[in-house]
Amino acid sequence: MPSQQVVAPFRYAFRAMASEHELQLWTGDRASADRAARVAIADVLRIEAKFTRYRDDSVTAAINRAAGSAAVPIDAETAALLRYADHCYALSDGRFDLTSGVLRRAWDFRRQPPRVPTDDEIAAALDLVGWTRVEWDEHSVRLPSAGMELDFGGIGKEYAADRAAVLCIDHGIRHGFVNLAGDVRVIGPQADGTPWRIGIQHPRQANAVVGTVELIEGSVATSGDYERYFEAGGRRHCHLLDARTGRPVAHWQSASVVAPLATLAGSYATIAMLVGADAERFLAQQGVDSLLIAADGARVCRGPSFRS
Amino acid sequence: MSTKARKVRPAAAWSVAVDVAATKSPDDARSDRERSAALIVAALALPGVLPTAAGAQAAPDEGVIALRYYDFRDWQPGAVRMSVRSPSLYALVPLGENLAFEGTLVHDTMSGASPLFHDTLSGASGIGVTDHRAAGDARLTAYIDGNALAAGVAYSHERDYVSRAASFEWRRWSDDRNRTYAIGWGAARDRIDSTNGVATNRRRETYDMLVGLTQVLNAGAVVETSLTWSQGRGYYSDPYKLLDARPERRRTVSWLTRYHQYLPRMDATVRIAYRYLDDSFGDRSHMVEASWVQPLQSGFTLTPTLRYYTQGAASFYRDPPFPRGFVDTEHHTADTRLSAFGAVTAGLRIAKVLPGAVTVDVAFNFYRQKPAWRGGGGSPGLDDFSARWIEAGIEKRF
Repeated sequence: MPSQQVVAPFRYAFRAMASEHELQLWTGDRASADRAARVAIADVLRIEAKFTRYRDDSVTAAINRAAGSAAVPIDAETAALLRYADHCYALSDGRFDLTSGVLRRAWDFRRQPPRVPTDDEIAAALDLVGWTRVEWDEHSVRLPSAGMELDFGGIGKEYAADRAAVLCIDHGIRHGFVNLAGDVRVIGPQADGTPWRIGIQHPRQANAVVGTVELIEGSVATSGDYERYFEAGGRRHCHLLDARTGRPVAHWQSASVVAPLATLAGSYATIAMLVGADAERFLAQQGVDSLLIAADGARVCRGPSFRS
Repeated sequence: MSTKARKVRPAAAWSVAVDVAATKSPDDARSDRERSAALIVAALALPGVLPTAAGAQAAPDEGVIALRYYDFRDWQPGAVRMSVRSPSLYALVPLGENLAFEGTLVHDTMSGASPLFHDTLSGASGIGVTDHRAAGDARLTAYIDGNALAAGVAYSHERDYVSRAASFEWRRWSDDRNRTYAIGWGAARDRIDSTNGVATNRRRETYDMLVGLTQVLNAGAVVETSLTWSQGRGYYSDPYKLLDARPERRRTVSWLTRYHQYLPRMDATVRIAYRYLDDSFGDRSHMVEASWVQPLQSGFTLTPTLRYYTQGAASFYRDPPFPRGFVDTEHHTADTRLSAFGAVTAGLRIAKVLPGAVTVDVAFNFYRQKPAWRGGGGSPGLDDFSARWIEAGIEKRF
């Protein structure tokens, strides 16, 4: 008979992808929690190292370096992410674009003092945006113009959250969750079977929640205009840029979505932010529960998952 | 998903609609649904975002190697009776994703009393004897779809006693992983050749059956209960005793229940266990045990344990002075381990996790046995009996 210890919480905080993350694993012994956490955190760091733009030895850097010249060989994981991004592009009618990272050249959110770029600057950056021009298949990818860039930032963190949760499950963890900078993937319910209560960050008040979601499985992810932004000319300019216009979205303060995978929840939330006034229809079409906070602070709730 | 690689394809096979909000034709709606479904399919195709069937098992992914040392000594008023020193080596080796091997090697050195048993009326009393036992077991466990199937063999050898055993176990987890079922079967064949020539090529066969259930009750509590039925036939007597004749058949049924409760405020766990055993030799025993597992800030874990055990006498146990009332045609023994008594064990285990996935632990146990500690009174005319054992271990995961 296997001897089983009581289920107790083990928490792990770590930093990766320029954000704070947390694992909460409920299991019988510290050793198995430590083991699962070690493997899960290592995988998050692996994904960061592989897909970050900030390291010369990353896959992303290699692809971007070769822009305008040769195709770069890719592995199955990279190809699967490209395929997923391809479908995000389709579903967002081109607003979500893996090549839109170059818009940062016009919109520099780190610049002090910040400034709104000129139309010409935006147009110049937009010339290098265009997922449909990317030549890719299962084995290689090529950016056709020098200066074009791929950026996996829009999906990498959520993908990492899904993998971290599954690695914990594969290592015998049945209760707990992964929280990568606010994108939560549940490993399994609380040990007594009850759901986790996950607060949704208020987009304008740092220590307040704007709603609560209860999950026994699956994921909730939030996209908001408060993550990176600057204010100029009485307007908030956030980091969520519509790849078609090259300009920040302004219709919602935040969008939170419940989906089976963090990857999906994150994409739905981002696309909801990007499609603006069409977000409610878009989310209804995906059949997901969601909580939208409008520019004036009004709550638009869909489905039974979210509570105020 | 398309599996065939296409060389240089356009990234998206549709035109970007400038305004999708207002009017939608049925074709557009169908296209919307297809795009929604395609995204989900693409997400599910990402590697490692859903648990795999293989991953749903509890197959160990790390190996363990552990070295343990066990030192036992018992005594009665006026005499140190017997001591056992026993180093052992344990290894757990994952073999691929769904298979694990476990093995143990033990070497015991026993000195003091008789080679086989120790007893106040031993026929070999007064002559110090040192015996050695070498034992090993091996077990292979396969993890398949929420099931674990284990097969094991064990072998033990000492000068007057050889034992061979085999076992099978099937464990199954519920889908929510909160419940585990277990069924086990075991068989052992022993051969006794006593050094004094009393028993020559005497045999014993034992068969065991186990059914068990482990249930997670809530966030802090787990209960485990199991029933073990054992049936044996063969030579049960002690060849080193002057007069010892025991039944050739033995049946025991034992029921074990363990309850573990985590106490969040103290960051401690309480473990309570109870075991009841019914023996066809005529005695029944009860064991209750309570432990407190207290992790400390320093990385140490302290586990004090208190155990109470009591048993009745076997129907053929004869009180001293034996052989008073001896009848040759009846089963009889003066083995005090088959007398009626109560016993208390107090123990403390100290464990510490070191860097490099190494755990060291040391445990001290003191045992005191008195006939009077049995509720309703124990067997008359017996001395108290004491023992202590120390265990130390070091374990490394890799």
